[in-house]
Amino acid sequence: MNETGSNPAPISPEDLALYAIQALPGDEMAAVSAALRDNTQAQQDLARVQGDFALLALSADQQPAPAGAFDRLRARMRENDQTAANPVAASAARTPVQRADMAFEIAPARRRSKWTIITPWAIAASLAIACSILGYRVSSMNDELDGSSRLVSNLAAKASHAQQVLEVLNAPDAQRVTLTATKIPPVPTAHTVYLAERGALVMEASHLKPVPADKAYELWVIPSSGGAPLPAGTFRPNSEGYASLVLPRLPSGVPAKAFGITIENVAGATTPTLPIILSGE
Amino acid sequence: MFESPSNPKPSDNRTSSSETEIRTADDTAMLTRIGQRDENAMEAVFRRYSGPVYSVALRVLRDSGQAEDVLQEVFLQLWRKPTAFAQNRGSLGAWLVVIARNRAIDVLRRRKPSDSVEDVVLASPVNVADEAERNTVMQKVRGVIANLPEEQRKTLHLAYFEGLSHTEIASRTGDPLGTVKTRIRQALITLRKALEA
Repeated sequence: MNETGSNPAPISPEDLALYAIQALPGDEMAAVSAALRDNTQAQQDLARVQGDFALLALSADQQPAPAGAFDRLRARMRENDQTAANPVAASAARTPVQRADMAFEIAPARRRSKWTIITPWAIAASLAIACSILGYRVSSMNDELDGSSRLVSNLAAKASHAQQVLEVLNAPDAQRVTLTATKIPPVPTAHTVYLAERGALVMEASHLKPVPADKAYELWVIPSSGGAPLPAGTFRPNSEGYASLVLPRLPSGVPAKAFGITIENVAGATTPTLPIILSGE
Repeated sequence: MFESPSNPKPSDNRTSSSETEIRTADDTAMLTRIGQRDENAMEAVFRRYSGPVYSVALRVLRDSGQAEDVLQEVFLQLWRKPTAFAQNRGSLGAWLVVIARNRAIDVLRRRKPSDSVEDVVLASPVNVADEAERNTVMQKVRGVIANLPEEQRKTLHLAYFEGLSHTEIASRTGDPLGTVKTRIRQALITLRKALEA
């Protein structure tokens, strides 16, 4: 009984029965569905099986529909009609329902379902817990913010002080005087402050003699480990013989045994050139 | 095998002629009125079939709230598109209970609707529009099922009211797949023969 005249795929009565109640796995459901498409006899057999199962459905103990069920249905019918009449407004008020034009959506329609009672309380409890957590978090963040603010204030004060120190040390018009015993002519001197842990160094020199244009003084750090001297930077004295180095690029963690100053080419050197003009331990 | 529902009832002198007309109209006429957005016709169909539809949903879901959800959706679908049920789909009542059972299984298994209502075509050997005949059929069906071999009855129940696939039934009962299929088929044959006798 094939309308197309081709040989339809056979469907066993057992599979047809299982197909009717959707008791086949997905791939087998699809296979039977495809086989049914052009098989009129199988379609009629399926209709009979569906009729048999309808009888089985009627074997369930009969219960009347809940009171007020039709009133609730009528409300949804009217809502549906309004939706159909004004789909734009309805789409804002209701989620899409139809799959094509024949889909089902099992949506809560009753007002006395246990979920309609439990759900609002569950939501309220969840919100209360969430608020508590958020409140605690906000309090913690405020404490952290206060701590951070105090830290920033301290750092700002320290930075301001350091900036003032640097400005005084580096000011070209600052008056620099080395005090010595009277009647002794001034001699070239240099003072270094070195913090090996950070590789931080500040040097101030005075009464330096002028050097040729292609030359410069260079400061060296002599490691206490006995390693090669580290160049700490070049500098040229001003007209009054004064020069300084502030925080030159140096590796951290190199304890110094001594410091020395030599005269090198203006670009600097990788190893000191004798003689050593100034040195100190 | 198809039967056109026609269920005239004794007229009620206390009701209007219009109400009486609706109450005694056959399903096809009711569907025509529903297509014209006649709420009274819809109410009449609801009163006629809501019991069987709700009962099968309740049997599957064992939850009155969910069962009413299915009840509402089945009838709302009928309101939305009464033409989904055509004359050649068998009796409206049988069609509605099959749709309700399928939707209840979908809810039970937490899956999307597995078929379109238009895909469900059935040939019902009985007219369930008439309440008296329906009750007679119900008693007969229950008797047939009660007399089925225990294995057949259990397998049929697992497949139809619990929505288990034949592989799930085989896994649960330990029976071979072929045996599960045969039991369901045999139970249906027994049921059909009993109703046709």
